[in-house]
Amino acid sequence: MKIQLTKDKTIEFNFPRGGGSGGSKAKSDLVGVELFSDAPNGCPTVRLYRKKNTWHLGAADYVNAPDGALPESWEDMRNQPTWELPRHFQAPSAAIAVNSAAGSFGQASSEAILLEMMHGVALVNEPEPATAEPGKRRLGLKSSRAPAPAPKPVQTEASTRKPEFPAEGVPTSENGRRFVVRPFAEEDFHLCASLPEFQSLWLGRLLPEGKRPTASSIQVAESALMASVLAQPSFLESNGNMLVCFVRNESVYFAGYKEGLPVLWRRCPNTRGYLAMREAVIKTLGVEEELVDSVLEDALIDPRPALEPFIHNVLEQLELARAYLSSKHQINVDKIMLLGMPKGVEHWRHSAEETLKLQIIAPAPFDGIQIDKGVNITQPTDFLVALGAALAASEVES
Amino acid sequence: MKNASFHLNLLKDTEKLSSSPVRLRVILPTLALLACAGMAIWWGVIFTQLMLVKSQVQSIEDDIRAKSQSHTEVLAHQAEVREKKLQVEQLDYYKAGIRKLGEPLAHFAEIMPLRVQISNLSIEPPPPQILQPAGAKVPLFGPTENVETQKLVLVGRTTKETPVVAMMESLEAPMFSDLVTKEKKINSFKQDNATTGNKARLLSFEVEYTIPERRFAK
Repeated sequence: MKIQLTKDKTIEFNFPRGGGSGGSKAKSDLVGVELFSDAPNGCPTVRLYRKKNTWHLGAADYVNAPDGALPESWEDMRNQPTWELPRHFQAPSAAIAVNSAAGSFGQASSEAILLEMMHGVALVNEPEPATAEPGKRRLGLKSSRAPAPAPKPVQTEASTRKPEFPAEGVPTSENGRRFVVRPFAEEDFHLCASLPEFQSLWLGRLLPEGKRPTASSIQVAESALMASVLAQPSFLESNGNMLVCFVRNESVYFAGYKEGLPVLWRRCPNTRGYLAMREAVIKTLGVEEELVDSVLEDALIDPRPALEPFIHNVLEQLELARAYLSSKHQINVDKIMLLGMPKGVEHWRHSAEETLKLQIIAPAPFDGIQIDKGVNITQPTDFLVALGAALAASEVES
Repeated sequence: MKNASFHLNLLKDTEKLSSSPVRLRVILPTLALLACAGMAIWWGVIFTQLMLVKSQVQSIEDDIRAKSQSHTEVLAHQAEVREKKLQVEQLDYYKAGIRKLGEPLAHFAEIMPLRVQISNLSIEPPPPQILQPAGAKVPLFGPTENVETQKLVLVGRTTKETPVVAMMESLEAPMFSDLVTKEKKINSFKQDNATTGNKARLLSFEVEYTIPERRFAK
């Protein structure tokens, strides 16, 4: 609560927020949820709790999405729903990862971030592939395949003022957007995430006060995706030096880590995601939609002719990323982690070994996490973002 | 490895809500308001009591003001009563100081020898009392001394010394203790030169007795 005493003097009272959602200390029991994902069954949600320095998966399921769509303007803020999670997900706090076409996540220099803040638009978003089709609305949100409805830069007197660079991890509102940055292992480079201010406010009020859980973290889905690797045993064994390829339904991302800190985040250009790979199989091999999984898993039909163009582009970009990590950060990548691929990992592995002489490892998303009895996960890759959101929001040190 | 390095949290601390049903954010201002209301009620009670006491003080002052006249009169009466009591007390001193001389004087004739003729019996007046001392607003009512001494003077004639001595011995009897003490002084005993009809030879005498002390006491 702020009280303005005079024109220049303002005093501020900070009432304690209470509960388990306040502060920045490590959390040992929390829920990660991915909002407005492509999963058809609802919002992938996981509950993680930490016991004796080990993460346990207490629950993982698809939860019914909240009523209403993610607002696309301030006017839509009038329809603010409240959302309650099922009983087994009622941890003290929740980390929400959101898929928003208006959101942005990427690596950028300080100058670029300041420029983005000054203009109030997402400039660090990498361009969508040229082949992207206009997306249909899913769960009230335009699919990430749709071009982001970038608002026109607001040319006001305020926008010409150079904003202050935000402190590490502290969300800052500027020109109608909310920004948060974390430093790279590389000097003057940062990870930057941003959302329109109204979406941040809408998400912050989604889980009602006084009932478990309440939101302790709002992250952009890509940001959570990058953190999903943190509990992987092979990532920990490599001392946090790793090149990871994340495959999503609509996109492919490369993430580089150096001693546990981010050094690279890049969307694979001219490449659509897993769904495009399936489409290629259907079109090239002429199989039914229902048979694609069998084609990708079984050896009866060789899908490599269909996959080759798709994988080839990804492997080329992977090679570039590997060279960048080697030359810029002295990280010798001899194996690449592949995450988020539901089916067809083996074909990627063969192609990588043949083309780049590289080893691809594709651990299960929940490797390194002890799964409680009774937790049944049919499609673990769907929970990658929710898992990453929870791991990042836990802020533990391992 | 720090998970926090990957936590790009867009939720501000001020927007974080408590999942606890007991919300400090609500409870604290409510308690503060209740405390303020309690203080206001308390001050109200104190103010009411103050007003009550003030009105009581006002009514008491009015009462005192109204009764001050009669109070003054009562005080004056009380002072007068004290004064009168003092006067009565002073007068009681006189009462205690009364001399009962009638009975001894009645017996005085009985013991008078035949050859003694008392020509004069006098008691000298007491010393004057200063009942209006300088500066006194009102005269004193009581004696100024606690003890008063007077003399009894017997003047007479006789034919010879013996009857006078007998008279003086008789006066030492207890019945005359209220009239005279043993302290006496013979002022004169001499030939009476006054002319008499039988031309007998007479002696005149004058004896002075000290009367017992008159004590003004309760």
